[in-house]
Amino acid sequence: MTWDLMVALLAATIQTGTPILYATLGEIITERSGILNLGVEGIMIVGALAAFLVSWWTGSALAGFLAGGLCGALLAAVHGLVCLVFQGNQVVSGLALTILGTGLANYLGTPFVSKAAAGFDAWSVPLLAQIPLVGSVLFHHDSLVYFSYLLTAVLWLCLRYTRWGLGLCAVGEHPEAALAAGLRIYGYRWAGILVGGCLAGWGGAYLSLAYTHSWTNGLTAGRGWIAVALVIFAFWQPWRALLGAYLFGGVMAFQFRLQAMGTHIPSSLLLMLPYLLTIAVLVFSSWKGRGDEAPSALGINIEPAD
Amino acid sequence: MGKRILIGVTLVLFGFLPVLQATAAEKPIKVGFVYVSPIGDAGWSYAHNQGRLALDGMPGVTTAFVEAVSEGPDSERVMLNMARKGYDIIFATSFGYMDSMLKVAKQFPKTVFMHCSGFKQAPNMGNYFGRMYQARYLSGMVAGAMTKSNTLGYVAAFPIPEVIRGINAFALGAQSVNPKAEVRVVWTKTWYDPATEKEAAKSLLDVGADVIAQHQDSPGPQEAAQEKGVYSVGYNSDMSAFAPKAHLTAPVWNWAPFYKETVAAVRKGTWQSASTWYGMKEGIVDLAPFGEMVPKAIRDSVMAKKRAIVGGKEKVFSGPVKDQSGTVRVAAGKAATDQELLNMKYFVQGVVGTLE
Amino acid sequence: MVRLSIHKRQAPLGWGACFVFLGAVAVSLVLSGILLRIQGKPAVAGIWLLIRSAYFSVYAVEDCLIKAVPIFLCSLGVAFAFRLQVWNIGAEGQYALGAVGASWAALTFPDLPGYILLPLMLLSASVAGGLWSFIPAFLRNKLRANEIIITLMLNYIGIFFLEYLVYGPWKDPTSFGFPMTKNFSAPAVVGTIGQTRLSWGLVVCILAGIASWIFFRFTRLGFELKASGDNPRAAQYARLPYTRLVAIVMVLSGMLAGWAGLLEASANLNRLQPSIMAGYGYTAIVVAWLASLNPLLIGLASFLLAGLRVGLEILQLDLQVPAAFGSILEGLILLTVLAGGFFTRYRLELRRRP
Repeated sequence: MTWDLMVALLAATIQTGTPILYATLGEIITERSGILNLGVEGIMIVGALAAFLVSWWTGSALAGFLAGGLCGALLAAVHGLVCLVFQGNQVVSGLALTILGTGLANYLGTPFVSKAAAGFDAWSVPLLAQIPLVGSVLFHHDSLVYFSYLLTAVLWLCLRYTRWGLGLCAVGEHPEAALAAGLRIYGYRWAGILVGGCLAGWGGAYLSLAYTHSWTNGLTAGRGWIAVALVIFAFWQPWRALLGAYLFGGVMAFQFRLQAMGTHIPSSLLLMLPYLLTIAVLVFSSWKGRGDEAPSALGINIEPAD
Repeated sequence: MGKRILIGVTLVLFGFLPVLQATAAEKPIKVGFVYVSPIGDAGWSYAHNQGRLALDGMPGVTTAFVEAVSEGPDSERVMLNMARKGYDIIFATSFGYMDSMLKVAKQFPKTVFMHCSGFKQAPNMGNYFGRMYQARYLSGMVAGAMTKSNTLGYVAAFPIPEVIRGINAFALGAQSVNPKAEVRVVWTKTWYDPATEKEAAKSLLDVGADVIAQHQDSPGPQEAAQEKGVYSVGYNSDMSAFAPKAHLTAPVWNWAPFYKETVAAVRKGTWQSASTWYGMKEGIVDLAPFGEMVPKAIRDSVMAKKRAIVGGKEKVFSGPVKDQSGTVRVAAGKAATDQELLNMKYFVQGVVGTLE
Repeated sequence: MVRLSIHKRQAPLGWGACFVFLGAVAVSLVLSGILLRIQGKPAVAGIWLLIRSAYFSVYAVEDCLIKAVPIFLCSLGVAFAFRLQVWNIGAEGQYALGAVGASWAALTFPDLPGYILLPLMLLSASVAGGLWSFIPAFLRNKLRANEIIITLMLNYIGIFFLEYLVYGPWKDPTSFGFPMTKNFSAPAVVGTIGQTRLSWGLVVCILAGIASWIFFRFTRLGFELKASGDNPRAAQYARLPYTRLVAIVMVLSGMLAGWAGLLEASANLNRLQPSIMAGYGYTAIVVAWLASLNPLLIGLASFLLAGLRVGLEILQLDLQVPAAFGSILEGLILLTVLAGGFFTRYRLELRRRP
């Protein structure tokens, strides 16, 4: 593999990983508050459609991006309603949301399949893009990629150093203690769900506005599920989410380049690689004992006080 | 007395016959379509649906479709339902529907069944297909002429015969104007995933391809080509909106003439079970308009070739045709038979890629 | 001032739960009707057509039963795991592996007589499906790895493996290059019952369902499963160690999904091809949950959900409603039933405050 191909592969990795990164960051926030949301796939695809529709209708890609986040949050609110208000089982509610979201997006989106909409295009960051290797890999992308870098940093700071962030983590670890300390656990959990939904929606929006400038049924193709897996790989920390998303994106990009270079390995086996890798990583993380870093109260509904 | 009755009856009969014929022409006909994927996803079902919409314009014809029907018991059920509801003609547009359709056809001898891309027949069941490879050949000519790096990239969906045939025809077309042209194949195993298909296109661009062709209907590969500033060949629909500077041309389906012809034949009572494989001559496949960047000289030679194929003077797979290992598959001076084409399981020389 | 207060019920609603369930389904039907309206289709007529064509004719009932068989088996398997709160999302992959296992036997020994070949196929399907579900169980037991993710990833891998086989080593040379195995020989096909289109798989379902019900209701292990699921600490008092329980339910889960794969390949398709994958594994989770993990109710729920799919096709045919509508309805039903579950566990009271 030549040097140029290598650099191109790394740059492609960033792009392939970005939608997954958004969704993973979102799910980290949600799970930190103690809520498991398996509906990420459904939220992503709804966000993708909403973003595309608004961008197509208004001509503004930014408006589309914001709309994607908004609709993602709205759909996630359904999960919040079912789990926080109606005390429904979180695992099943999330699954139902995926089924609903996927169906909804495909149902409403069919008329828009061969349309083109405004999107985000790549631009180079002045100065930074000139740095050898690192510059061409990291700084020649579209605005949403740069935003995702920023977001990762912001969330890390937030969870580590702000009152809100620490409160969120407390609610996910020891809800009873948090309650006793006067924290409004329902407030934090709602925030976790809505922020998570917004970010997952943005992940979907990236697919329909930046990665491609189009919409088709099934645009997300299981990326939401990968994001849920990557949360565990990331040990619920934003920087590791970055690593995980790019690793996964890299494997996806890599197996295509292998094919393009003329390998004889059957493509079905190559396509398995990203998923095998995810399992390998998960097993390794658990073996190292880090699986226990999950928020202790994850997935458990807090019963309403009498 | 008997003579008068005879004359009278004869006159009445002759008078009635045209009326009967006229009534038959206006007899309402219900036509059902079974699609293997949603009409919004793959070019395949979308194209068939466009053909169906053309039927809606015919007087007395009502059409309906069911999409995303799995092969197997689901398709059997759908076709049974259509037949029970009195549909006169049923078109099933995927190879995997073949056995189910045969089962249902045996139960409903008065209904006409048409199966796309298969080979089984019954007195009331025929099959049909289109010679898309002819249009692919022409598009390959354009690609071969426009490439500077001599590497053509092909984003392929699934390793089924139609796709393989298309890739081979594309390669042969390119080689006919540019013997150094090489076609690299990447399989996405998707019919409708623009993100994955775009990634596949990008990987081909990274190994030096400067024309990207595709078998899926999403504009992902077109966008990739446009972004890199190179050329692309679309598929099925006019994708120039997505890649105005890159889109050279595209092979397209046009099922309307065939569907209209079948409906008319059934109405007239002249329909017979047959194995129909129409091509450019009958208008089933065609080439989309050229992009502005294609020079006149290339356009002319492509159109000349098209006329030759349509006129029957030339065939796409005429020998010598060698496969990737150098073995001669079609001897010099001969042309591949339809059976050989339908069973094509090899890549021609000049194609780099696996078959699975 | 009026205050709404929430009280946990002493005992969850019994028969009242039925009404809550029906109410939830009604709500989701109404919401779906509204969605139909948005697309310009008649709401009430549409929903009624859906129900009518799903259940109210002999043909429809037959179709529903055929479709319910794989859903039921996968769902039964999922219920075993869910009882222990082991979240097996991998029924789809286990179904695929079961089909692969059965096909291996059918293709390798086409000339064996049916009374040897069919049990052999059953064995290989069970082993394949059971193995696929054992992997996440093992990883969970030994490494505390999250089974939700592993089973999910194994779904994708299982399907790619199936595709690899039918595009490659197992492809039928006479299939014009299309990805499918050879047709199974006659002894490898599970036959139909009399003149109907129903296969003997239906009998397998009934037997499996009854056996499961007896197991949960009357055996000690069945009771321990439920108790350990509700409260992991109670698991200490079970006869078998918790890890053993996890392995047992997962293997059973995979086996049952594998049987579904076997039946689809053998009875319905008579070969293995990629279109055997029809999302039964995911629908199975919906069904299992709606039926509160009770085997008899799972039977009913599988039938009803199969009907949904059958009715949806008529809706497509007659009203040109897109296929995605089915997912919406499934999702809505599940969400409303989940929400409705609240009312069976809690009581609302309006109190007047002076």
